[in-house]
Amino acid sequence: MAKEVTGKIKLQCPAGQATPAPPVGPALGSHGVNIAAFVKQFNDATRAQQGLIIPVEITVYKDRSFDFVLKSPPAAVLLKKAAGIEKGSGTVGHEKAVGKVTKAQVLEIAKMKMKDLNARDVEMAARIIAGTARSSGIEVVG
Amino acid sequence: MKPRDRTPRVSALEPAPHPAWTEIRVLAPEGWLELVADALALSPCTSVAFGRPSLASEAAPEGLDYVRTFVPRELDTAQLRAQLESRLAGLAEATGAAELERISVRFLELPPEDYANSWKKTWKPFRVAHFAVVPMDWRGTPRTGDLRLVLEPGGAFGTGRHPTTRGCLRAVEQRVRPGARVLDAGCGNGVLAVASALRGAAHCLGFDIDPAALPYARELAQDNGVHGRCSFRVGGFECLGPLDRDFDGLCANLFADLIQAHAGDLAHRLKPGGWFAISGCRADLRGATLAALDAAGLELEQRSTRGRWDTYVGRRRGPA
Repeated sequence: MAKEVTGKIKLQCPAGQATPAPPVGPALGSHGVNIAAFVKQFNDATRAQQGLIIPVEITVYKDRSFDFVLKSPPAAVLLKKAAGIEKGSGTVGHEKAVGKVTKAQVLEIAKMKMKDLNARDVEMAARIIAGTARSSGIEVVG
Repeated sequence: MKPRDRTPRVSALEPAPHPAWTEIRVLAPEGWLELVADALALSPCTSVAFGRPSLASEAAPEGLDYVRTFVPRELDTAQLRAQLESRLAGLAEATGAAELERISVRFLELPPEDYANSWKKTWKPFRVAHFAVVPMDWRGTPRTGDLRLVLEPGGAFGTGRHPTTRGCLRAVEQRVRPGARVLDAGCGNGVLAVASALRGAAHCLGFDIDPAALPYARELAQDNGVHGRCSFRVGGFECLGPLDRDFDGLCANLFADLIQAHAGDLAHRLKPGGWFAISGCRADLRGATLAALDAAGLELEQRSTRGRWDTYVGRRRGPA
């Protein structure tokens, strides 16, 4: 049945390790959603990706049932993967580059993330991705 | 002599106190929220929420949105606040994006709360016909004559409150006779099959094309102690075998287009004179849906409408 949507909630939680503590508790609780049910389902769905932070969008319906979709990983994670490094520089904005990505890779990530970033066009998304790269110590080349 | 330990002890019988939290609320330009979340993700506060804090709070100004993270109060130190503020202040320079200079941050101290349970305060048991739909840990007593139907709210498969589910539950109460065999087409969490079993049906078969529904349905049957009389399958009509026919009753809480397409399949599984409860049909598509039911030999006896939704109850033509 088509159900009336009463709310959309966007969160980022560690895969397989969400708990009823904030932000999950207050964000979902204010919509009357069964916190334990969400936590269990999210953790089941993300168990294989332990160690990653997963963006998730939860839709709450009028009868207080809910549904969720997992979104693409955060840009910083995709950039590190593209640069072939485990971690960014650790400190935001720093001198020494720890990896490199090409402009083409930035554009590819920008296209993938455009909708989730709420960017108005691909140029803006690319600018955000490049900025994110820079702040993680990843140099954009080519 | 050993000094006496004067630390107050918490009795094992007393519930542990609920921790208090500090909310770190950042207003940042749209598009950059993930990066801000990354800057805020100082262990252990790796989870963040995006968007308006609550329906009661003011919407963010144009072009900006909220990123919120939370730390347990005991970790909310001046040092942590300074560290977060400096990370946020460094973002504009780190990214080369001037709009990130507009980031503002507030620290809000929240009172202690048991978030795992506090949502239940607004979740009241409810009554549909003579079913008392209650969560698992409900300690009340249903009214005399009411059947307790345990349904933990959650998941996308409904909470029993939807008008179409209510419509079918009413029909289940009126029509299911002890010992009956009931089919639940598009069973979702199996609430109609389980309710039929609670009314005394000897066997209820539910099926759904969504494999995610199956564990919910089995759990619901288990929670209500009727798992021995309910079985569930994944699939459409093709998952029914030659013996899955001559049902005494059938529930189908689907969409009008599915009902129209499968009216014949539904009728075929019902014994002559067997009852049906069909819902999930939009009232504005009533004409076509009723015509399809009639053509399949399903005779309407009762129609109820709640909001946009119709529920049709009737019998398959033929001698009972």
